[in-house]
Amino acid sequence: MQYLIQLLISGLAIGAIYGLIAMGFAVIYKSTGLVNFAQGEMTMITAYIAWTISTTVSGNVFVVAIGAILAAVVLGLVIERLVMRPMLGEPVFATVMVTIGLAVILRSAINFIWDAYPHGLDIGMGRSVVHLGGIGVRTGQLAVIATLLLLLAAIWAFFRYSKVGVAMRAVAADDRTALLMGISATKVHALAWAASSLIAGIGGVFFALSYDLSPAMFQLGLKAFPATILGGLDAVLGSGLGGLLIGITENLAGGYLGSGMKEVAGFAMIIVVLMVRPFGIFGERDIERV
Amino acid sequence: MRTGDYKQSYGELVALIDSPPVWLWSAVLLLGLIAAPYLLNSYALSFLMIILITVTGALGLNILTGYTGLISLGHVGFLVTGAYAYAVLVSKYQMPPLVGFLGAGVVPALASLIVGAPSLRLKGLYLAITTLAFSFIINTVILEMRWLTNGARGIQVQRPEIFGISFDGDAAFTYLCLAIAALTLLATLNIRRSRVGRAFVAIRDNDTAARVMGINLHAYKLFAFVTSAFITGIAGALYGIYLSFVSVEGFPFLLSIEALAILIVGGLGSALGAVLGTILIVLLPEATRLVFSLFSAQMDATFTTGAQELKSMLYGLVIILFLRFQPRGLVGAWHDIKRAWVHWPLRY
Repeated sequence: MQYLIQLLISGLAIGAIYGLIAMGFAVIYKSTGLVNFAQGEMTMITAYIAWTISTTVSGNVFVVAIGAILAAVVLGLVIERLVMRPMLGEPVFATVMVTIGLAVILRSAINFIWDAYPHGLDIGMGRSVVHLGGIGVRTGQLAVIATLLLLLAAIWAFFRYSKVGVAMRAVAADDRTALLMGISATKVHALAWAASSLIAGIGGVFFALSYDLSPAMFQLGLKAFPATILGGLDAVLGSGLGGLLIGITENLAGGYLGSGMKEVAGFAMIIVVLMVRPFGIFGERDIERV
Repeated sequence: MRTGDYKQSYGELVALIDSPPVWLWSAVLLLGLIAAPYLLNSYALSFLMIILITVTGALGLNILTGYTGLISLGHVGFLVTGAYAYAVLVSKYQMPPLVGFLGAGVVPALASLIVGAPSLRLKGLYLAITTLAFSFIINTVILEMRWLTNGARGIQVQRPEIFGISFDGDAAFTYLCLAIAALTLLATLNIRRSRVGRAFVAIRDNDTAARVMGINLHAYKLFAFVTSAFITGIAGALYGIYLSFVSVEGFPFLLSIEALAILIVGGLGSALGAVLGTILIVLLPEATRLVFSLFSAQMDATFTTGAQELKSMLYGLVIILFLRFQPRGLVGAWHDIKRAWVHWPLRY
């Protein structure tokens, strides 16, 4: 029982990180109709920049947090402007392939700029252990679960009530009509890329806090795929919850079936889910005209 | 008087070789390739081998992604299955190499039925991610089936001997790769101009419309998967033999991306494109290294320390630039040049 609860809690913690990155996927998909294959790499860059700030400038929590947030937003904006905007109006396949090319470039750039050794992000907190009913949990793990829940609520409210959120939904639903209504699609896209980079970046920093930075971190992006597919590519909140589900499944499979299963449990799960619901659990079915 | 080349019947339109110059140049190319192993040094020969093996694999992916329009991000899964099928049959159970090659085609083809079946309901990106999931699952399956695959330790593979002919030397092995690559090229070209190929292209262009016109979507999509996996599996076996060692690490996920990059750079949905794209992508790192070493010894040193990173950055950059400026790939560029050459000084 103890073991089960332990697995569930650490599953929730890693699942929250997957959930954050999956929300990053979904925000971009919802407003631009693209899957951003470079999400894992963008996450990783933000985490590495946070680490660089913590070692060179100051290990203060607020300095690192503000630096990482700025870096993530700037990264999202720069990528949108330089790489994605010229592809506006091109077929989806071509644009998605561009993000794959981008992923390859970013991953190598990280290995080129930083070294290939693992680093721990140390900002003086997050690694201490608290005991909840006899089960040790790291504060960083609690913080990431809380952050995910807070962001889920904030994003729900953003898409529901704010003018910009409604504009983003309008562009996603029908970009031409949205344009006629006076919504600038390019601004919405830029905002989506910045927001996505930020949300996923937060996940990346939390990952670096609880685990370690390493060149293999881009696999977080691959791990978050099942989460966003599970929730539905166009469902931002669903992706966040999908992350939690995948995290738990992965940890239970790893704990009871063996470590090999841990790596693929999420992928096996999405194959099963997609056979039943080809558009994800919370995704909308799209109707196609010939 | 007629100028330009006119096609007056459907037979002429789909003919493999439509004019005497094409005959001539194809023959020259073939003779050149046959002479190559004697003319090239072993360093250049290794590039030729890699190109021939990669062409086979790229043609396999081209059937699925180029003709049928089903994006696969997990083709390395079929590559590794084929390599393991060959290694297990030949190295472990001492079967003849021909049986090994057959197994290297059939086992991935069967595996592709497992991936293909759920993907019939899926479209576009959802399908791409399912194939990605497959390639990760297959790696785990291989690592877990230790009794058959030696797990992470991998399997040693010898160069084969078929009908008493030993393909041990580099030149001989190049001939084997050449034969298989040429056969694959012929096969894919013939698939493209047959009823099956037209059905594939119809599915790519609009699958609902294709279905309305009486094309059995399930059968043809599965057929595309099976054919593609069969060819890719054989390429995998060749690659395993080339490396002389089959392990999961020998087939990284990057190979899937590389294969897609080859198709895009070459021109999606064209066999010629797959060949041109392969040549460019395989020789790109080498060409860059030469350019770097021309500039200065110091830059050459940077290149050796960060060689792997710079190489992958180049891949990424080339993919992006091609998609941005030449979406039809090298084949598109080639057609433009040909048209300009014929019609100059007129625009068209």
